[in-house]
Amino acid sequence: MPTHREPALRVAGLRKAFGDHVAADDIQLTVPAGSCYGLVGPNGAGKTTTLAMAVGLLRPDAGRAEIFGVDVWSDPVRAKGLIGVLPDGNAMPERLTGREVLTYLGLLRGLPHEVVAERTGDLLQVLELDAAERTLVIEYSTGMRKKIGLAVALLHAPRLLVLDEPFEAVDPVSAATIRAILRGFIGGGGSVIISSHVMPLVEQICDHVGVISDGRVVAAGPLADVRGAATLEDTFVDLVGARPRATEGLAWLSS
Amino acid sequence: MAQLLTPDRAVTAPRPAALARHMVGMRLALMRNSLRGDNVTNLYTGAALGLILALGTIAVAVLWPVYLPLCLAVWLSGWIFGPLLIGGGSEALRPEYFSLLPVTPGRIAAALLAGAFAGPAPLITLIALLSLPVYGWRFGPGGVLIGLVAAVTTLVTLVMISRVIVATIGLFVRSRATAAAVGVVTGTAIALCSNGWAPLIALGGTDSAAWSHVLVRVLPSGWGVAAVEAPWPLAVAILVAAAGLIALLLTAWASLLSRRVVSAARGGVPPRRGAPRPFPAAGGARAAAAKELRTWWRDLVRIQLLVTAFSYAVVSPLLLVTIGAWMVVPFTGLIAIVMAAASSANLYGADGTALWLTLMTPGAERADVRGRQLAWLLVVGPAAVVLSLTGLLVSGQSWAWPWVLGLLPALLGGGAGVVVLLAVTSLVPGTDPHKRGGNPLSTGADESAETGLAWLVLITVPATALPAAGAVLLHPWAGLAVGVLTGALSAWGLGWIARRRLEKRGIELLNLMKHGPAPQPGKPATADLPLRHRIGVTICHTIAWLPLFPQGLVPLVMKIFGFEDPVWFLALHLPPLWQWPTIIFMIATGLLMYGYAFLIPMRLSSSSPATTTE
Repeated sequence: MPTHREPALRVAGLRKAFGDHVAADDIQLTVPAGSCYGLVGPNGAGKTTTLAMAVGLLRPDAGRAEIFGVDVWSDPVRAKGLIGVLPDGNAMPERLTGREVLTYLGLLRGLPHEVVAERTGDLLQVLELDAAERTLVIEYSTGMRKKIGLAVALLHAPRLLVLDEPFEAVDPVSAATIRAILRGFIGGGGSVIISSHVMPLVEQICDHVGVISDGRVVAAGPLADVRGAATLEDTFVDLVGARPRATEGLAWLSS
Repeated sequence: MAQLLTPDRAVTAPRPAALARHMVGMRLALMRNSLRGDNVTNLYTGAALGLILALGTIAVAVLWPVYLPLCLAVWLSGWIFGPLLIGGGSEALRPEYFSLLPVTPGRIAAALLAGAFAGPAPLITLIALLSLPVYGWRFGPGGVLIGLVAAVTTLVTLVMISRVIVATIGLFVRSRATAAAVGVVTGTAIALCSNGWAPLIALGGTDSAAWSHVLVRVLPSGWGVAAVEAPWPLAVAILVAAAGLIALLLTAWASLLSRRVVSAARGGVPPRRGAPRPFPAAGGARAAAAKELRTWWRDLVRIQLLVTAFSYAVVSPLLLVTIGAWMVVPFTGLIAIVMAAASSANLYGADGTALWLTLMTPGAERADVRGRQLAWLLVVGPAAVVLSLTGLLVSGQSWAWPWVLGLLPALLGGGAGVVVLLAVTSLVPGTDPHKRGGNPLSTGADESAETGLAWLVLITVPATALPAAGAVLLHPWAGLAVGVLTGALSAWGLGWIARRRLEKRGIELLNLMKHGPAPQPGKPATADLPLRHRIGVTICHTIAWLPLFPQGLVPLVMKIFGFEDPVWFLALHLPPLWQWPTIIFMIATGLLMYGYAFLIPMRLSSSSPATTTE
């Protein structure tokens, strides 16, 4: 039986290459139970690849991933029971309404029908998707897709939430709602790992942070240790290396 | 330098010629970039076949000029039905790409038209149309000149008609009724391709020659022939009329395109009324089946493909009735099952990356596979049973009862098994449903790969019914028991394999759909075969069914049952002494071609030195 002393997520030596391009190289991360962990990195750094390998959606070339001590690749069924996942950009059962998606997935997970109905109603209401009762998921806006994805991740009351860019394309009001949900979830003993580009947001809700650049972890640990005296944004730019500034280019844009 | 620092106030729209040139360049670049692996083979094979047909058309103009307008009508039908058959037409240059250019829709349409000509198909068609000046030679130098002009106008007309049809489908297929209508047209077209000779024979006779003579000249494809044959003033009038038709089509196309760009329908969702029916309170396979049934009812692509399958099944036996052959009518329902299986062969590919939810739900693979099977049976089964009984009763072919009753459960079970198995083992990745463009009938999948998958189903589903057929030969009513048994076994067993495969390799399937086929040194595609073999394999895949089924197995069955009407079966036209050897030769040829097409890639890939990588 996994206990709370086990970290919520531990990955070690994860590696994935697509052809010649190494998307993730020897990734080491530990997400303590009960923490909110922010995974940050520039575009194409390997955040999505890392999270996909950690939850069992992408087979790594090497390395291991454990969720509360359960190996994702040798005991996937138990591991998947413990996590709720919001992957980036994956399709859904597109021709169901939001309520139908949640009902279907709840029943598929073996939850009793009354529980499914109750939780579905709650989630749709809290995430403000209940107004679009007749809209199929394929007709949802980008922000609505994020929200129904989050509802799917929360439906079975997992112990670890793995959210890839949960705030992308979400309006400020909904973002506040999501932040409140996450705080409540962590307050109730849950653990969260999110990936994001938005540093102030990560600083606001996360207590641990990992920085990935070019497929490698360049810094990881409690937020205060990683950023030191500076802001996370400055630390991040220092860590991943400042790019050539664009101010001298695009001169024709200024009038 | 000074003007670089101020916003360009005098931005002028690109000139039409420049726009067209860029469009052609873009189309060629897209084609170059997509020419990898199997696509190269398909292009070469298609171009080679097309070239043969084009040269054949020129030969017709020289040797049998009477049939030239008919040949050109066939080219016209190719341009009309080609895009329908490959799912709404492949659109390399989508109008959506250019919706923000500061140019009028008419100019965009003209430029896109130029882009549409940058490809092998218009070039090959132009070669075929050179038959017009060749035919014109009989009427002197003037005839050649008119023929040349007519060749160009006819080419533009054909391409335009094709584009307008694609645009019309893209714009108007927004409801179940229109999707079903396209399905009926497509199914009828396929039926005409395979059995259209029957009504032609039925109409054949001296009196039909006159009207068909006129008809093939009235079609836009025949105007060139008419112009060549006509006196000067009339010829010029016809050519002017052709130019007018082109202008009309261009206007229509431009307005269709501009309406398409501003109308925001995504992924082909039919309109709905009222609240959706409540989801049934059941778990496992029944929940998955409920999801699938809703998808069947709400996806225009699935509706169109299913209607195509059923209308083919209904129309093609009826075409044979025109020559008094009722023997296929009882099998309408069985044909429907096989065609419906072929059209739903890419079940997992059509849903795209939604597979991640099944993979992330513990133990959901079984429910998903069984649910899809159940839904497929519910969608296809009742209609197939009704069609079978109707066909049996209407045709009055009492000998067919044991055959139909034995094969029906066998094929239904086999179809339910093969569909999920091949959907898992031979998935063809497409665009995720929510990312599809303004063309609701295009799934973004590689059409030739999807067609290959459909052919694989057309071969394997009937194969699952072979035991039942054998049992019927032994004793008429043994077939029913064997059919029920093998049907249940196929559905259960193949579904079981599919489920195991999904559990073991589901992640690879997901990433195949997300990122496309990964470069796997251990598993070379046909692309790694020497070009000679690649072309051979593709040709065999394309035409091996011809000797095996219509020219081999069908005359075999007809001979066994004593039908002596030779129709178009070569063997039955020969003296009795040669009939059996011909049938056996045809079957053997078909089997050899399939054997070559399947075994050569396997043999060459297993002898490849890179196999140890995995």
